[in-house]
Amino acid sequence: MKTAKKFTAKKMMNGNEAVARGAFEAGVKVATGYPGTPSTEVMDYTHDRYPDIYCEWSTNEKVAVEVAIGASFAGYRSFAVMKTVGLNVAADALCGAAGSQINGGLVLVVSDDVGRISGDDNNDCRHFGNMFNIPVLEPSDSQDAKDFMVRAFEISEEYSTPVILKITSVTCKTKSRVVFDEDCTYEAKFRHEYPVSLSKVIMTTIMTKAKDSTHPKLTRYFNDFVANINRLASDSNDSDLNKLELNGTKIGIITAGTPYYYVKEVLPEASVLKLGLIMPLPEKKIRELAEHVEKLYVIEDGHDVLEKNIKDLGVSVIGKELFPKFPQMMRFTPDVIEEKLVPGAPKRTPQKDVPFRLPISCAGCSHLFIAQLLKKHKIKAAADVTCGLIGTFPHMEAYSFEKCMGSSIAMAHGYNIAKENKENLVAMIGDGGFWATGINGLMNLVYNNSQSTVIIVDNNCLAMTGGQNVASSEFGYHYKPENKLDIAKVCEAIGITDIVTVDPYKIESLEEAIMNAVNAKTNSVVIVQKPCVTRFKLPKDTPSYIDQDLCTQCRQCLHIGCLAIERKAGKDSHQIVINEDLCTGCRLCSTVCNQKAIQS
Amino acid sequence: MNSHDTGKNIIIAGVGGQGILLFSNIISQFYMNLGYELKISDVVGLGQRGGGVESHFRYSNKPVLSPFIKAGDVDYVISFEQTETLRFLHCLKADGVVFTSTYELTSSTVNTGLQKAMPESKTAIIKRSDKKIFAIDPTEHKSPDFDISKMMNVVMLGFYAEFRDYAHDDMIKIIKESVPKRFVEGNLKAYELGTTIARGELVAESSVIVKP
Repeated sequence: MKTAKKFTAKKMMNGNEAVARGAFEAGVKVATGYPGTPSTEVMDYTHDRYPDIYCEWSTNEKVAVEVAIGASFAGYRSFAVMKTVGLNVAADALCGAAGSQINGGLVLVVSDDVGRISGDDNNDCRHFGNMFNIPVLEPSDSQDAKDFMVRAFEISEEYSTPVILKITSVTCKTKSRVVFDEDCTYEAKFRHEYPVSLSKVIMTTIMTKAKDSTHPKLTRYFNDFVANINRLASDSNDSDLNKLELNGTKIGIITAGTPYYYVKEVLPEASVLKLGLIMPLPEKKIRELAEHVEKLYVIEDGHDVLEKNIKDLGVSVIGKELFPKFPQMMRFTPDVIEEKLVPGAPKRTPQKDVPFRLPISCAGCSHLFIAQLLKKHKIKAAADVTCGLIGTFPHMEAYSFEKCMGSSIAMAHGYNIAKENKENLVAMIGDGGFWATGINGLMNLVYNNSQSTVIIVDNNCLAMTGGQNVASSEFGYHYKPENKLDIAKVCEAIGITDIVTVDPYKIESLEEAIMNAVNAKTNSVVIVQKPCVTRFKLPKDTPSYIDQDLCTQCRQCLHIGCLAIERKAGKDSHQIVINEDLCTGCRLCSTVCNQKAIQS
Repeated sequence: MNSHDTGKNIIIAGVGGQGILLFSNIISQFYMNLGYELKISDVVGLGQRGGGVESHFRYSNKPVLSPFIKAGDVDYVISFEQTETLRFLHCLKADGVVFTSTYELTSSTVNTGLQKAMPESKTAIIKRSDKKIFAIDPTEHKSPDFDISKMMNVVMLGFYAEFRDYAHDDMIKIIKESVPKRFVEGNLKAYELGTTIARGELVAESSVIVKP
């Protein structure tokens, strides 16, 4: 007789921590990924808590997914974690895996930034579920996150498909109680069903009619992925992943993720379908709810993906006509639901005129030195997705444009060829962006005989996501000094001859290096090397201060964009002051002050 | 679990680097030890330092549903930066209480003239609110024993624990388990300062307020 599993342990976990626990319980062997807020911690927790699992930060998301696919084909469970912008990068790899025969379960843990809290992207990973015909699971809290991670692997193997576990800026960062089996021990799950696994384009069922073939060399290539997903759609009507709670008949809500709990709190009388498997949809359960209630609403974070899919079934639901999706990655709150669906809900007005906060660089950051010099010499520049992108914000205005991760080198090349090299628009890129995809831009500009200057900011880590290792870092999960990639040597090998490495705090050398590079009619790289002040807790120098008798309040120093310099209300008037608790004593501000008012 | 306290909704606010998560972790452990159900949502914005941070902290004797607290349902706003305090005043219940530092980190938009500074002192606006306000000015409480610019969170914790009449030994035990060894002594001094300030304020107020 089987004994019931003991679920004795209880712990507060956030969603990221719970996903890592789920990976452990599922017997994952290989974990890959690329850092991205809010899901970076999934890897941190997996690596720190579960040493049996092989973990790596891959060079970018596409590589991460490819590594995971390889491990899955070898018969072991693997996952790749990234934020949804990263899934854009990895989409080609996922497309290849979608519709393929799967050996070990393959799960992509993907975080949507609902509410655009941690970044400013408006991607919704569920579109990939629709596009590639692959299942998507969405947890509502940490207990779900752990349990669904295990279920995702089971579904991946049972229906031979990669699975997306969708988490969000809310589920990742919300702690709730998780009950788990304390006695669970690690066992790497192994399953090897197929000797080959090819992407569906290789043996397209339409062109080759492989389905009707009898020769084993042909039949073993055939994978009826459409039948698999249809079977899952049918099974999802009986799955406990989707919970139908029939209560009152006035209001019915179809929901998923944390909005489920907002609905339960604000509308306790409503009938609710909580979707755990959001793709494919449980059609029967949806129809059952639709028939039970007078009005049916869909409440979903992000885009109107569920809404469109439900409407495609021929079921009418009220969604974005009542809850407008602005700015696209909508984050529901209990307040929004109450305002629209609870008659007579009180209105509360926030305090007027409270200033908002733009992201701002840490005091002493190398990026501030570069931004300042570019502004001083009126050099146009493309920024990249790193801490340096803060220089594009209106309080700094140091860069002309900024797009996706790793893009600045190629964009500068495009700009310069279009302008026939009459303006040298400079590319600024971080070490993270350089290794992620920027290196491709550099190779491209060399062999296409371009003339561009590239400033690579080497701060020894991916700073913006909290300081994870990149290929040139002097630390990391698998760090060995002999395996550390050297940015200067790689640039040299690619064919750049003009390479200078400088310390940003030596402002004159930095200025000389950048100006020489910009004026040279050739490709050039300036490597600005200084470990991240925050990540590596660099020692501080004596803080600077502003002599109020000399200060004319011209605000030059404020436009540097340093966190430590503030304009504050004094007794009679405003004063510009340096916050001595935040100042690192880097002295950048004293170089911009025409009055010599900044001293130390 | 105290049968008179069925639970509370708390917003802990401030800017990055002020130890909001440490505060929330310590009281999380405290309420868990008392047997409460909890949900805590830490919404962190872009940027390493200086960005607004708000933690929605809910404990209850029943399972907590929404991780976010609806405007109007907040019992306490505990804030380490007064601009952030202002953002949440309207979320308080009629009998809600504010614990705020008068520390202020000027927004970069105001620094660079993109937005106007508020026309009057934020402390004055907060104090004018119809809610019960406790404001602590860190510049009045500088100590040689610890850096109040870094440990205002624990000063506020001491204040809050005294206000709630909690057993300080239980809280201190959790502090000791939660901070690196070399910071324990400073944190305990900060906690003690918070309790001392609270006792002073609460004696002054004792004729008007009833402890929950």
